[in-house]
Amino acid sequence: MKPFLQYSSHVLNHLHKDLRLEWRSRDAINGMLFFALLVVVVFGLAFDPTAYPTTTRQISGGILWVALLFASITALNQSWTREQRNQVLEAQRMAPSPASALFLGKAISNMLFVLVVEAVLAPVFIIFFNLHTLGNIWLLALILPLGTWALVVNGTFFAALGLRARNRELLLPLLLLPVSLPALLAMVQATTGVLTGELDSIQIGTWIKQLTAYDIIFTTICILFFETVLNAE
Amino acid sequence: MTWHSFFSLSTMESRHLLAAYAVVLVIQIGYLWRIVSQWRHTKAPRN
Amino acid sequence: MEQRTPTLRSVAWLWFAIAVAVLVIGFRQAIFLAPTDAAQGDIFRVFYYHVPIAMLSLLFPYVNFIASLVYLFWRSRDPLKALTADAMALASAEVTIIYTTICLVTGSIWGRAAWGIWWAWDERITSVFLLWLLYVSYLMLRRFSSTGQTQTLAAVLSVFAAVDVPIVYMSIRWWRTQHPAPVFFGGPDSGMAPAMLPAFFWNLAGWAIWGIFILIFRFALERRRQLAEQDAALQAIEASLEIPR
Repeated sequence: MKPFLQYSSHVLNHLHKDLRLEWRSRDAINGMLFFALLVVVVFGLAFDPTAYPTTTRQISGGILWVALLFASITALNQSWTREQRNQVLEAQRMAPSPASALFLGKAISNMLFVLVVEAVLAPVFIIFFNLHTLGNIWLLALILPLGTWALVVNGTFFAALGLRARNRELLLPLLLLPVSLPALLAMVQATTGVLTGELDSIQIGTWIKQLTAYDIIFTTICILFFETVLNAE
Repeated sequence: MTWHSFFSLSTMESRHLLAAYAVVLVIQIGYLWRIVSQWRHTKAPRN
Repeated sequence: MEQRTPTLRSVAWLWFAIAVAVLVIGFRQAIFLAPTDAAQGDIFRVFYYHVPIAMLSLLFPYVNFIASLVYLFWRSRDPLKALTADAMALASAEVTIIYTTICLVTGSIWGRAAWGIWWAWDERITSVFLLWLLYVSYLMLRRFSSTGQTQTLAAVLSVFAAVDVPIVYMSIRWWRTQHPAPVFFGGPDSGMAPAMLPAFFWNLAGWAIWGIFILIFRFALERRRQLAEQDAALQAIEASLEIPR
């Protein structure tokens, strides 16, 4: 019990630090919000959502997740840069706390930021696209966090992976997107299924189960391998 | 099939068949070529 | 090392010759001896290249995965062994991409002629495409990461890719099915006409032998490069030690 409590307190310390730093400047959240909003506007201009409600419902799931994906990538890239200033990362390596606690703290903080963006974005989305959900909208409260965690956990990991790489900002989407594709498929299909009401609850349930399995598997892998990546040379 | 019909470009099927086999050969031999030319460019180890 | 090299070279040339010979026989079997397919006509002969290469393209990722795990294991224990494992990981990643590319391109060419479409987002095609994407991202990571870290980061990514591949397959399987039903291990009405089996097996053997040949050749090239790098580093150190006092 004690090791678990110790580990949790490390994670919470890291989380607290990241949240506090972010709260002081609010860079990441503002950037993400604006970016996601712009993506939604571009799509809104590309076709007329109010004139074609059926089509709109069918593609909004995809548009929402594309907007969130690109917004998260912009935030994830710079979530590690604050560790590079003042050689904080070296200090982290030398600290006795397990490296995976640092990773989890950062992943959870990134998750919270993206959830805040989603909470703001979802009503905007509904208004801009004139969406009337035909399915059970409360399922979205389950799908959105699960999908977001899939993107954030792998994204935080790959952002750390590319810390000393050339073209670091370019590397993150190149690595993140292929690995996340099964999760993206599941979250987009589930969201679209809820919005259009075309999928019955069993099918949506299967997508949600796949998403959960993906989350569990990749969270485990990320936690296990973070130490290796942090001490890569 | 005969050599004649293999290389005939008259139908879409025969063109695509030829193209598919050509693509395989080009990619495989091209890759082998790349390895060989990079082998030549690497200095031999001293021992 | 001096005694081994000529023997190794002879074996390599022999293996290459066998590969070419089997492929020539396979070509003859596929084009001239195999019967014309009743439904699709001669375009079906793409099958004899497409399917063996597709099957083999699913093998090399595992070589990469195992080599990456071996690298991570030896990394802190025996760096020289780890380096060898890393060379194999890189070689098998490249060969995976070669075979997967061929699979996708020939499939597309065949699909256009036989079924009128260049592409479809069905379970098999999409899974293979994602496999291709994963290994291209692996090579990009190797290219972009800073030296010293490259091998470790690539090995970790390889673990992600290896875990992702079955997940990709299962998720897409549940989503789409347009590909022709599996020829082998499929339901009823699968399996090939016996007259087509020789062409299939000759080509499977031929491309497997060829695949092993280019895998080992690429591995040897990578080892050669690693040794050349080590030599250069050693020379630099020796040169710095010779500075006259």
